[in-house]
Amino acid sequence: MPENTVVTAGPSVRRTLRLGVAGPVGTGKSSLIATLCRELSGELAMAVVTNDIYTDEDARFLRSAGVLAEERIRAVETGACPHTAIRDDVTANLDAVEDMEEEFAPLDLVLVESGGDNLTATFSPALIDAQIFCLDVAGGGDVARKGGPGIGRADLLIVNKSDLAPYVGVDVERMVADAEKARDGRPVLALSRTDEPSVKALCDWVREVIGAHRSGAHTPQDPGPMAPHAHGPGGEGHGHGHGHGH
Amino acid sequence: MSGTDTGALGALLLADARLPTGGHAHSATLEAALEAGMPEDRIADYMRARLATVARTEAAAAVVALRAAGRPDPDYGPVQEALAARTPGRALREASASLGRGLARLARRVDAAHPAVCALPTAQAATPGLRPLRPVVLGALGAVFGMTAEQTARAVLYEDAQTVTAAALKLRPGDPLTAVRRLLGLSADIEGSVRAAAETDAPHGIPAHSAPLIDRWAEAHARETRRLFVA
Repeated sequence: MPENTVVTAGPSVRRTLRLGVAGPVGTGKSSLIATLCRELSGELAMAVVTNDIYTDEDARFLRSAGVLAEERIRAVETGACPHTAIRDDVTANLDAVEDMEEEFAPLDLVLVESGGDNLTATFSPALIDAQIFCLDVAGGGDVARKGGPGIGRADLLIVNKSDLAPYVGVDVERMVADAEKARDGRPVLALSRTDEPSVKALCDWVREVIGAHRSGAHTPQDPGPMAPHAHGPGGEGHGHGHGHGH
Repeated sequence: MSGTDTGALGALLLADARLPTGGHAHSATLEAALEAGMPEDRIADYMRARLATVARTEAAAAVVALRAAGRPDPDYGPVQEALAARTPGRALREASASLGRGLARLARRVDAAHPAVCALPTAQAATPGLRPLRPVVLGALGAVFGMTAEQTARAVLYEDAQTVTAAALKLRPGDPLTAVRRLLGLSADIEGSVRAAAETDAPHGIPAHSAPLIDRWAEAHARETRRLFVA
């Protein structure tokens, strides 16, 4: 549980939904966040925390996109360990989230963008309430099939840049179907910022999660540890790592 | 928590880089030092300089905070003020407050009802706008764990040296095993500062060892946009 969460007998009463956006570098996390800000900042009070590895480039990109007041976008340093900052030691991110929730109270939604790392990095529920894992068609149609904690168990899996599929020889429907199979019915969304229905579906999902969070119906899930290693036949890409169950 | 036998374990915990209190994003100003042109073969000298100056002051402050924590109705105001006055650069004060914030979150989780933890707001009250500094919270945690003055001082000094060591491995290529040897080579410096710090018993006794170059580098770093470490 995050530190400033008021825990009663049942659900959390914090108003703000903390939503993480993880996924490999270059899959469009910043762009997805810019889209959410553009579409939702009229109806929701929002703020963004970015985790850049070498610079504050993502924060600057978002500020220059003009989709949210500059002071509502903050970058934190991760000491060259972007996966640590969202999982093993969330201190810097939690500080930034708590500061903005206090400064801009009441906030409805704080988005935390992970530093683009790799397929294994997911957010700890100590930092966020729900998380989106972002892939893109340009990364290859087989990525969803490869699995991993984010692909398998994030609250929403995005297959981004669906408009590029014809140019990179990827069958989006197939990629979505593969992902759905890996996710036991958790939602998958093929997204393009130029495809309005997909953007609307993304926004609707966020609204729905905010509603569930406020009503206490949503429980933060941990997608799990780093992807387990394969140990010979039958051990591939499924189950949990080294004795670390849920 | 105090009264149970956690002193020795607490000393190890506080010196463990895996402690989830935000330390991994700090370089003890090494990133700024290298950026400013300090040659990498001077990293051992840099660590030694810190152990004789800023880290020594911090270790003494942690010991004074530990002693304050052990009194009835602890008041960290005097030690917080004394340390803030001995940390002239704003960037370094803020880095210390940021690390203190992570440690305070841990302290509340470990034992929120402990008098040493309940009293942490007295530090901030003495320096409005500045959260409890890292050595102050470390002293409070030392009291919660039942650590000795030596253990508390050593935790500060060892962690300072290890922060530089870990950051160095990210900032300049090098063999991690060689880095361990470099740190062991500083044991006499660490222990000397441990002894000096452990004898400190009042805020006015905290030495005012600042390092002007480190202050300057830290200030420049705070204005950088390309950086791996926050400070």
